[in-house]
Amino acid sequence: MFDQNGLSLDQAPPISVVLRFFLSGALFGIVAGLLILVFNTAIFDPAAIEAVILTHTLTLGVMLSFMFAALFQMLPVIAGVKLTAPVRKANMLQYPFILGVIVLLFAFYSGKVLLFTIASFLLGGAILSITVTMLRELLKLPNHSSSSKGMSIALIALGILTILALYMTGTLGGIFEGMHYLQVKQAHFTFGLFGWIALLIISISFQVIEMFYVTPSYPTLMHKHLPLSLLILIGTGTLLSPIIADVWSFVTPLLALLMVLYALITLKRLTQRKRPITDATVLLWRIGTGLLIASMLLMLSADYSGYTILAKLSYLSFAGFAISIVFAMFYKIVPFLTWFHLSSQGYFTAPMMHEVIHPKTAMRHFYIHSATLLVLALSLFFSPLIYLGGFLTLLSFGWILWQIIHAWRLYLHTQRTGEKFEMNIPTT
Amino acid sequence: MKHPEKIFLDARELEHPIPLERAMQALRSLHMDNYLYMIHRKNPIPLIDLAKEQGFNLHQQEDNNGTWHILISRDRTLDLTELCDV
Repeated sequence: MFDQNGLSLDQAPPISVVLRFFLSGALFGIVAGLLILVFNTAIFDPAAIEAVILTHTLTLGVMLSFMFAALFQMLPVIAGVKLTAPVRKANMLQYPFILGVIVLLFAFYSGKVLLFTIASFLLGGAILSITVTMLRELLKLPNHSSSSKGMSIALIALGILTILALYMTGTLGGIFEGMHYLQVKQAHFTFGLFGWIALLIISISFQVIEMFYVTPSYPTLMHKHLPLSLLILIGTGTLLSPIIADVWSFVTPLLALLMVLYALITLKRLTQRKRPITDATVLLWRIGTGLLIASMLLMLSADYSGYTILAKLSYLSFAGFAISIVFAMFYKIVPFLTWFHLSSQGYFTAPMMHEVIHPKTAMRHFYIHSATLLVLALSLFFSPLIYLGGFLTLLSFGWILWQIIHAWRLYLHTQRTGEKFEMNIPTT
Repeated sequence: MKHPEKIFLDARELEHPIPLERAMQALRSLHMDNYLYMIHRKNPIPLIDLAKEQGFNLHQQEDNNGTWHILISRDRTLDLTELCDV
């Protein structure tokens, strides 16, 4: 007989742990859509508080939620790390994390010192404790794959990113004098984009591109050395920035070059698939890596030309890159988890993966997502389009929210009404 | 002695998680006179763990080309090593 708990509970956390992080990510995405409608084109001015609020809604609320979902799921499966008491760990992370993000957004909006202090304790405590827990388990592994090594490095970057953020909120909360505020702000920005978001995506992709899409593996030099090289570059920039004022003008082009190389190889690998069937996830990887290249080239062009419009397009492209990849992972993880958890519990009537989220449903979302990015980019030139951009953002994350609810309802329905399979393997 | 029926699954070019989906369907169709013979580019650890947990007879072996041969039967007296083509 299939064990009631199933294999998955040994290998991976309960499905609810992963789905609830996706759920909070989707809800923050809906908040981001509302913020775009309220703030309009002020979101494109890096100096405006509106841009800071939207950026943290996306990077913390959306990206970090989705990435925690991916980490809780991927650490046991890809790296072989067994997180004990995953539900308790998820509770201890998620509740203070959600509250902390909300308090931080209000702190930015109001500028109230007390709110910055509360946000620091909630976010710092939640993120640093799970980072240390995950890192400790990763470091116990006797053998590391490129992905597990890369994930460890990305988590180190997340830890540093959080400490840098705490210095900034501590300064805004009146705890520190903030003598190095500007250097720390630059380091926080670089660690966030390159050290955490890009590095985690890169590390996971070393395993999932080959596994999900049956491609040749990445070049050895790249998958063995790229994550650490990125961390060393960002760390060097951070350490030298108080001494050498323009250190980032040397470091940033190198980072951009490595990102473009990675993206080009990923695009090449996606053309080398043994079964070249295009679905929404492949298109999301293509558009995501394409946008990473665009973002890096725009960033360098902006640095050399001084045109702020190029910098704005670069930020938007980078957000498009990160969200596209996150959506691609979502459409692979959620149907698989729903089917796998039910199948391993022995349900005959477990829905097949295409019944959890139909490929056409994912494809429709791909069109909505692409239209969102295009309209937001165009709204830089024709500002009334920002309303359409905000509406499409709402629709895009609402779409994701509905898929999560649908998968969860299907899961519960099968558990309630499904017929169980009996193996009856003789025991002698 | 009757030769057991071979259920063959070539998963080398199937995208994840289709190999696991097909293998789990095959496991459910196993009886005492047949066995699953799967070839795959990776060692499918979730499938192996599941088969072990459920008490199936199991043999897994990597050939010189890096292809994994996974044999699973319900009959635990069946010598799967002998049936493996490696």
